[in-house]
Amino acid sequence: MVLNAKIPEGKLEEKWRNYQISSQLINPANKKKLKVIVVGSGLAGAGAAATLGELGYEVQCFCYQDSARRAHSVAAQGGVNAAKNYQHDGDSVWRMYYDTIKGGDFRSREANVYRLAELSAPLIDHFTQQGVPFAREYGGVLVNRSFGGVQVERTFYARGQTGQQLLLAAYSQLSKMVRAGKVEMFTRHEMLDLVTVEGKARGIIARDLVNGELKRFAADAVVLATGGYSRVFRLSTLAIGCNGSAIWKAHKRGAFFAAPSFTQIHPTALPQSSEAQSKLTLMSESLRNDGRIWVPSNKDDKRSANDIPEAERDYYLERRYPSFGNLAPRDISSRAAKERIDAGHGVGRLKNAVYLDFSHAIQRLGLETIRDRYGNLFKMYKKITGIDAYKEPMQISPAAHFSMGGLWVDYELMTTIPGLYAIGECNFSDHGANRLGANSLLQASVDGYFILPNTINNYLSSLLKEEPVSTDHHSFSQAEKEISEHIQKILSINGTQTADHFHRQLGRVMWQECAMSRNKSGLEKAIKDIEEIKTDFWKDVKVTGGSLELNTELEKALRLADFIELALLMCTDALNRDESCGAHFREEYQTKDGEAVRVDEDYSFVSAWEYANGDFKLHKEELQFEFIKPTVRSYK
Amino acid sequence: MKVTLRIWRQEGPIDKGELKEYLVDDLTEDMSFLEALDHLNEQLVLKNEKVIAYEYDCREGICGQCGLFINGRAHGPHDHMTTCQLHMRSFADGDTITVEPWRAKAFPIVKDLIVDRSAFDRIIGQGAYISAKTGTAPEANSILISKEVSDKAMDAAACIGCGACVATCKNASAALFTSAKINHLNSLPQGKPESHHRALDMTKQMEKEGFGHCTFTGACEVECPEGISITNIAEMNARLIRAKVMN
Amino acid sequence: MNLFFRKSIIAGTGLFLCIFLIVHLSANCILLLPEDISREMYNTYSTTLRESPLIKIVAYLLYASIFLHTAYAAIVTYQNRNAKPDRYAVNNAKENSSWTSQNMGLLGILVLLFIVVHLANFWARIKLGMGAEVAMDNSGNLDVYQVTYSLFQNPYYVAFYTILAIPLGMHLHHGLKSAFKTLGFHHKRGLKVLSKVSLIYAAVMSIGFGIIPVIVYFK
Repeated sequence: MVLNAKIPEGKLEEKWRNYQISSQLINPANKKKLKVIVVGSGLAGAGAAATLGELGYEVQCFCYQDSARRAHSVAAQGGVNAAKNYQHDGDSVWRMYYDTIKGGDFRSREANVYRLAELSAPLIDHFTQQGVPFAREYGGVLVNRSFGGVQVERTFYARGQTGQQLLLAAYSQLSKMVRAGKVEMFTRHEMLDLVTVEGKARGIIARDLVNGELKRFAADAVVLATGGYSRVFRLSTLAIGCNGSAIWKAHKRGAFFAAPSFTQIHPTALPQSSEAQSKLTLMSESLRNDGRIWVPSNKDDKRSANDIPEAERDYYLERRYPSFGNLAPRDISSRAAKERIDAGHGVGRLKNAVYLDFSHAIQRLGLETIRDRYGNLFKMYKKITGIDAYKEPMQISPAAHFSMGGLWVDYELMTTIPGLYAIGECNFSDHGANRLGANSLLQASVDGYFILPNTINNYLSSLLKEEPVSTDHHSFSQAEKEISEHIQKILSINGTQTADHFHRQLGRVMWQECAMSRNKSGLEKAIKDIEEIKTDFWKDVKVTGGSLELNTELEKALRLADFIELALLMCTDALNRDESCGAHFREEYQTKDGEAVRVDEDYSFVSAWEYANGDFKLHKEELQFEFIKPTVRSYK
Repeated sequence: MKVTLRIWRQEGPIDKGELKEYLVDDLTEDMSFLEALDHLNEQLVLKNEKVIAYEYDCREGICGQCGLFINGRAHGPHDHMTTCQLHMRSFADGDTITVEPWRAKAFPIVKDLIVDRSAFDRIIGQGAYISAKTGTAPEANSILISKEVSDKAMDAAACIGCGACVATCKNASAALFTSAKINHLNSLPQGKPESHHRALDMTKQMEKEGFGHCTFTGACEVECPEGISITNIAEMNARLIRAKVMN
Repeated sequence: MNLFFRKSIIAGTGLFLCIFLIVHLSANCILLLPEDISREMYNTYSTTLRESPLIKIVAYLLYASIFLHTAYAAIVTYQNRNAKPDRYAVNNAKENSSWTSQNMGLLGILVLLFIVVHLANFWARIKLGMGAEVAMDNSGNLDVYQVTYSLFQNPYYVAFYTILAIPLGMHLHHGLKSAFKTLGFHHKRGLKVLSKVSLIYAAVMSIGFGIIPVIVYFK
């Protein structure tokens, strides 16, 4: 199968317009007859569901939480990027496009990235209109700040709660459409399988998490907006419920999975403090705007941070990357931290952290300014650690965060299954091998609000002539039967270990071998280990309670079963890519001073994996760089 | 450390519930309270018992999904904190900790410690939005909003919808939740055109859901993880008068 | 809106009663003067009140306020209890709010008890002519002073009035400030001032009404 990204003709800046001019439209009377399922209610999902509802489609939206407002977009703190050039500092759509594609280490599609940058400015307009209280200057205009990986100030923010404010705006808009009767919301429902009829996505099987019933939902198109899968590492910055099941099930039904191993390790999370820990709390990257990162120059320095004199502090990011300093991109910052920690300069009780110091910023800008900018983050830090970061440096550590990889989608955000779309973090589209800070809220929103509602019509228009599929179709009964058997199988094992036990094992393997730095033998070993975990899981997991009740243990086990399989694909992908690019750092491919070595001759493609009965088959989408030339990504 | 947890167990909405005691061992002070419950659940699984149902998601204090009534306080013994931010260092070795679900008629129990807070969604659905469609927005800086107004709107908008205000209120009033949303939108120029309907419709829904009256005990603002001020309720009342007069 | 309406009735009538209390206490202060002046003044004052048509209207407003305040408080309390049918096994409300604010209903019942006894002691005798007939003073006014004076020669009544002035003060302290908030007063600094004013007001009322019987007793 040849992957066709369906990139429109024309100059980069004309492609999106050209696409819209040539795509099929559907008249309002016909839109009413078309039904769309949106799985997920985060920024991408809620934005898409609300906008599709406004356009006149009949929409059903699903989330596993008790309310659409809980989706994990809520947790993004720092901000959302937009090429508004309000700061008059030389920003432009082109500059943003370039920063993003370079930040992604030239492993993403030019046309997609350009469109992302192009639609960023209208997105700020949109959210402002929806009542998002973005930070403002005294004169009433919007404020910006800078973020990792760029040299302009293009990040818009609402205190340290930008994701929350954007999500609440999306949730509000969604609630409006629920009230209008155009969107039906199914909370506490988890998609467990995709239903395809004659190769087209025609519906889903979802489990009602309250009573455990399996339910069938038919539609003309299915949109997945289920977020990232970094919980595969168990310890991550993600919400505990975040999972990869929906996209994994779609993958098993035929959707190609692109660049699964591209997962971002965030440099500024709180360090792990014990084995029982369930999650790593993220401290916004925006802190790096004013905070300086350092470790003691001496190994195993026992003194407290404030007692270490300036001369014995190693500001390693400023030292290694003088032009970007503390704002070096995430992959680079994380790896640099790991390098220092591994070299014995780590701080904190488990020696697994580095300092993020605000004392200089407080001296320079005053306590009030710092409080105004980061007050809630400092408060959060104190709640969790009991330490006052105004007085001593924070301790931070890298943690699994964002998945750049996801279902392969074309320019229309459609997967390789006709009628199945993937938007937001769950697709692989714009971020390449590394995502820039404040680009994830952007991508999720732009996908959901602006792109999907303008591309889905191109497919749906062709369905008007077809008979709608009902849930009585045998594909539905077959899928329901399979998932029901799957559940019964897990429940019947009645082994000796909890699902969490296996998840911890999986997490350890993945963090060790498939996180910040990877190598061939490690990955090969990881694959073997994961196979073993898989075997053990299916032999020895114990889930109490039944299927027809609210059973959080069963939910965990079902998600984990998919994570284990996904982990295998991640390692397979990482093993296949014999180069270092972005977040994917293969130890065999580095310069003498530890910088990544990209191999464009062999690996300038998006790896798209096809599921083939438990095995994975690689397809390549070659990346064409017509408008810029890939360069060595240097932040020195 | 070792603690005794007295936890409310209730099979379903209409079943009778009771407090059950569990002795939990091998805890450390660094563990969050929810991690202690996770730990207990793993032990229950190994003992072939059904796990305790409780809610959480982000575990960093922003999603609002977690919410337990711990030792007589919403979200536990500290002010302005979510359950997921509570750590075991707040308790002493050997403590007995009572854990109950949020209690309010408008928040019926789903199972054990999980309650149904969809009433909040329905209040939001009655006007906590700006009725402008995607694609109709003017240039963002064409609407100037002073920092003061914007900051105040942000203070109110910070609500995470956890329901601690209702849980702690002796009247199960949702006035803090509702007022925060009304004030967020009504204080911004974008929210002005629909401000009266918003205030009237949302408060009407609040009553329909079965929440009680606000009697200004002030407990809500103490338990609110975002520290949303009870002044918001007074402001909402002022808006209600204005809305009633204007309509 | 109904939630708000019901609370507004309680707040509005409550504020009216608060104003009344100021007038009432000021008049009662006459009792603190030496007997020869105060008897004359007090009796003249009460006769003037009884005969003024304006005061008649105010009196009806007062009865209506007490009735509405009590009736709506009963309705609101009933509904609030319905909104929270199941109580917590452990509830540490004292850590997040004042005891007073949590127990306005109980305090209100005590205040009502106070009012009922008070009305029986004075209003019923003087206005309805129940009980022993009230004598005239030298100027031909009903000798209300004597009624008061003799009542507070009974230590049980003194104790009753003085002790119940405490819940009255507590009720007023929370009631005054929250009435303003219920009616939409939300000025930030204003609320801080309001909080202090409520405390001072409640203290003055409580001490004032509580101490007069004691002073009269020892007069």
